[in-house]
Amino acid sequence: MSGVARGRLAEERKAWRKDKPFGFFARPETLPDGSTNLMKWNCHIPGKPNTDWEGGYFPLTMEFSEEYPAKPPKCKFKPGFFHPNIYPSGTVCLSILNEDEGWRPSITVKNILTGIQDLLDDPNPKSPAQAEAFMMFTQRKAEYKRLVKQQALKNPVPS
Amino acid sequence: MDSDYGYSSEEDSYEAMGSEGDSFDFDSQAEMETHAKKIPYVVYDEEQLRERQQDAVNAVAGVLSISDAEVVRVLRQFKWDANRLNEEWFNDEESVRRKVGLLEDAPVASTSGKATCQICFDDFDLKNMRAARCKHYFCKPCWRGYISNAISSGPSVLSLRCPLPDCTAAVPQSVVKEVVSEADVKRYDTYAMRSFVEDNRQLTWCPSPGCENAVESRAEVGTDPMDIVCKCGATFCFQCKEEAHRPVDCDTVGKWILKNSAESENLNWILAHTKQCPKCRRPIEKNQGCMHMTCSQCRYEFCWLCQGDWKEHGERTGGFYACNRYEVAKKKGDYDEEAQKREQAKNALERYMHYYQRWAENDKSRVAALKAMKNVIEQKLELLSELTATPTSQLKFLPDAWAQVVDCRRILKWTYAYGYYRFGEQALGRNGAAVPADTLKQQQEFFEFNQGQAEYFLEKLHGMAEKDANQFLDQSVPADGWGKFRETLIGLTDVTRNHFDKLVQELEKGIDTMLHAYGGDMDTDELEGPSAPAPAAGKKKAARPSKKARAISNKGTSSSGAAAGVEGDSDGENGAGGSDWGFWQCHTCTYVNQDPRRHMCEVCDTPRTQK
Repeated sequence: MSGVARGRLAEERKAWRKDKPFGFFARPETLPDGSTNLMKWNCHIPGKPNTDWEGGYFPLTMEFSEEYPAKPPKCKFKPGFFHPNIYPSGTVCLSILNEDEGWRPSITVKNILTGIQDLLDDPNPKSPAQAEAFMMFTQRKAEYKRLVKQQALKNPVPS
Repeated sequence: MDSDYGYSSEEDSYEAMGSEGDSFDFDSQAEMETHAKKIPYVVYDEEQLRERQQDAVNAVAGVLSISDAEVVRVLRQFKWDANRLNEEWFNDEESVRRKVGLLEDAPVASTSGKATCQICFDDFDLKNMRAARCKHYFCKPCWRGYISNAISSGPSVLSLRCPLPDCTAAVPQSVVKEVVSEADVKRYDTYAMRSFVEDNRQLTWCPSPGCENAVESRAEVGTDPMDIVCKCGATFCFQCKEEAHRPVDCDTVGKWILKNSAESENLNWILAHTKQCPKCRRPIEKNQGCMHMTCSQCRYEFCWLCQGDWKEHGERTGGFYACNRYEVAKKKGDYDEEAQKREQAKNALERYMHYYQRWAENDKSRVAALKAMKNVIEQKLELLSELTATPTSQLKFLPDAWAQVVDCRRILKWTYAYGYYRFGEQALGRNGAAVPADTLKQQQEFFEFNQGQAEYFLEKLHGMAEKDANQFLDQSVPADGWGKFRETLIGLTDVTRNHFDKLVQELEKGIDTMLHAYGGDMDTDELEGPSAPAPAAGKKKAARPSKKARAISNKGTSSSGAAAGVEGDSDGENGAGGSDWGFWQCHTCTYVNQDPRRHMCEVCDTPRTQK
């Protein structure tokens, strides 16, 4: 599927501009020389209203490979992101982002971003990716909630 | 010419004698079965396997009236169990179809015009797009990317679904074959073929490196070990794919192999290169110098040769360097707790070493025998044929004997793994309950006695096939003894085979059952009685095959072997069977006489038929 990746990403970009979910941000990286790198997108995911994540605006990068869309992009928060299903490196562990599990070539950037937003307040305890948040989520809920709120405060929506 | 005639007539008479006996048919059948390791199975090469798969598919396709490719899909879901598939299909076809993604064709508005590929978002003519039954159309290049990628990630491509999220429609084989490269189609086919073997409980690959044969068990596959001999010559267990290991069960073999891999390397080295300090028991490697050793840990001085105290060495023991004090009586003394612990650890290791060494030696011997057999077939047979004026077709008995040796070495080897676990400290009986110590001891003695017997026969056979045959080769004995040799070796091969087959069968039934059936009066109450139980008594003269032979003949399956039927309790004359090849067992002292013409026992001079 070589060569398809860029074409598809250009289409994704178009589709995103046409129909963007409220509060989200996603844009291909701009290189120092002013050109656009379609293979890496900088995104922001807002925390869902009425959850502990509300008010947060979490930066995330999406890296696409030449095999995209046969293979999923790699989605990363900042290293150390506090969430049971986010690896210490910041990489998101989500079934639809796993080639051997739920990934399908017709999953769009929008699907991915809303999927990750859903994951934030609805962690999957069956596939923990970091010990700290996982232990707290399963054993010390109150403390977990406090840390989630703290993290949201540290990543405010730019005004 | 004369000798030729002689051989064949003997062969005839041997068979004729056999078939006269009433029990012969039954016996020979039983014998063949055990020889074929009881389990009927078929070995397929690649071509035959393809045919076999097609047969399996055809059988189902006819009944369910769906295409072959779809049958493969459903069968795969049901692990190639056609019966279960039929049952569930006719019970609830919808649910089966849903499970594998064989949806009913979705209605489609038109087949002409344009549509957007949901992968690359480009517009294409519908006729250049493909879809599964769900009618989600994608362009061919996108299909190719999707499928090729799935093929490169493994056999899961066989159950590939439509690229649309949440759509469960199976990707039809026709689409796969149309869009991907030839190499990928080939890989796809290989996966399909592998699935037939790997997902199928009744089939397995031959684990031998480079062999591509598959084996189908015709019997219901349970959990018992199943010895398979592949066309490539490899022997393996259908269940655990380790080397064939009946009568030992797969679990024991697994444990044993694991233990060996963890310990054998170290153990081998320690065994080969060190001795323990007689005082502190630390292993010591002697890499230079004289026999006067000083332990670097406890500073104890001792003699490397006899491991005795160096202080006691001197002129009166024949000089420092000609130590003749190897047989030192063990000093008796009180152990302190530490020493006892050390002793225990040492004992555990020694116990393992005991079994491991024997296991490993038999394996070595088996490998060597395999080599020797090849050598015999490739080189020696022709020479022997010339020397003894016998056509090679009549020399088949020699490779046969070797094959028997190889087989027996393998069985014997595994009996040591069996013994290690069966009679360990926390030994468990068949039902998983702990066995009382005295029963265990009795069982162990019985087992070891039988093992000893098996070993005895095997050593004899091995020696004869090797040394005696070589005597004819280097012409150190006259060639006219050849007929006799042939006769004896054939007999011995048979006896040994019978013995081992029975041993395997009996051990599989369980040593408790075995002991019970053969021990007769060996109830636990009598254990401590003054009259030692028969097998235990037999063990003391284990060099002579005895009670085991009787025990087996009691089973009523006595056949032509000397091991069986020589001394049937019901029939003293049964021993005639043993004379077919010269072995007969003395009723009184149980010695196996090797000269058929003798009417008195070589050892105790009792007349032959007297009970």
